[in-house]
Amino acid sequence: MTFLPLLFAIYAGEDDRNLAERLKRRDPSVMGDLYDRYGKLVFSLIYRVVRDIGVAEDLVQETFLRVWNRAQGFDAERGALGPWLLAVARNRAIDYVRSAGGKMSRGALELDAAEHPSVFVNFEAEVLSQDRARRVRGALERLNENQRHVIELAYFEGLSQSEMAERMGQPLGTVKTWVRTALKHLRDDLSEKAVTA
Amino acid sequence: MTCDELRDQYELYALGVLDAEERAELEEHLHREGDPCIEGVQHARQFASSLAFAAEETRPPARLRSRVVGLVSQPKRSWVRAPEWIATAVALAMIAAWLANMRRLQERTLAEARQELSLKNVELAQLNEAFALMNDPAAKQAVFGQNTPKPRGRVFVNPKQGVLLLASNLTPAPAGKIYELWIIPKGGSPLPAGLFQAQSDGTAMYLRKGAVDVASTGVIAVTLEPEAGSQAPTSQPLIVAVL
Repeated sequence: MTFLPLLFAIYAGEDDRNLAERLKRRDPSVMGDLYDRYGKLVFSLIYRVVRDIGVAEDLVQETFLRVWNRAQGFDAERGALGPWLLAVARNRAIDYVRSAGGKMSRGALELDAAEHPSVFVNFEAEVLSQDRARRVRGALERLNENQRHVIELAYFEGLSQSEMAERMGQPLGTVKTWVRTALKHLRDDLSEKAVTA
Repeated sequence: MTCDELRDQYELYALGVLDAEERAELEEHLHREGDPCIEGVQHARQFASSLAFAAEETRPPARLRSRVVGLVSQPKRSWVRAPEWIATAVALAMIAAWLANMRRLQERTLAEARQELSLKNVELAQLNEAFALMNDPAAKQAVFGQNTPKPRGRVFVNPKQGVLLLASNLTPAPAGKIYELWIIPKGGSPLPAGLFQAQSDGTAMYLRKGAVDVASTGVIAVTLEPEAGSQAPTSQPLIVAVL
């Protein structure tokens, strides 16, 4: 698997600040450019959560429309457009799976708060860089199976530690240990100085 | 709890999966200006964003781009499809014009049929009147044109119903002219008795209604007159029926 085409799309095109300013001006032509830059990553993320092409397409549309409708609250100068878009995408997908499963949307309010555009300011420029992508994947591969599983349950399914324990049939303390250890490894790996890919 | 104790919760908070009690405790710190947890959560949010790369890359269907673009550019897309709209509009206009034309034709045909029916009714009424006049025993008849190729036919004079002229070989009157019937009393001057036209096949039937003194009537004549008719004949008679 390679993220090169995706990263080329992100870094060879118009910068996020210009895209954000066009979004705030409600320039309809920005949607094509925004999709070219982030569409594949957004689709990949949503598809990973819902595992259905048709549903993923609908949720990608919902994601871009939500960003379009909420762009006025986004800080084009300091905001991180890509991370905001991904947060909206992830929340849409998780919310869909919870709703489709007949579960109460426990985290709906939390997810809404977690995707508020004001949250995505002063991010490092390389959050979605090629080096960061490589290191995220490398760090995840270095985790053991349980550690990687809990991170995936948290990120792709939005489960709390209590819910993970129930899902995995493990004591809450054990799950918390796996989560804490996994996050420490990931934090350590990703906080290292970026190296050239 | 101290910031050190909460440090392991930052990423879970950023991912929105922290249990309620722990979340409430961390948010207390986030509301304190200068609290180290604020910077910690900020880093955790960037970490959470990076986890999107954990998803296996999947190519979206090609149609998805146009669906996304179409979310906010419907008017523009409709212009892109303008030729289709124009073709549709032209087709609809042609159908509408055709239907309107058909309606006009139908209306005209219907009007013509009504007019023809009306004429037929008039003719039928005239024929009924003519038969009634002819079959009346009081009616007197006279034949004309027996020995000539020119107009020939029969005249019926009914004392109560009037004069009936039936003719053939009568050329339709030329433009500006018309045929006029005359009742000529015995020893008197011709009295105008109405204007009529011959059919294109040379036939003519004219009924002059009104009482007629049969006994005093000597001749029924027809002349060609100006279109407005005349009070006295201005040309030689074409038909002369002597009673």
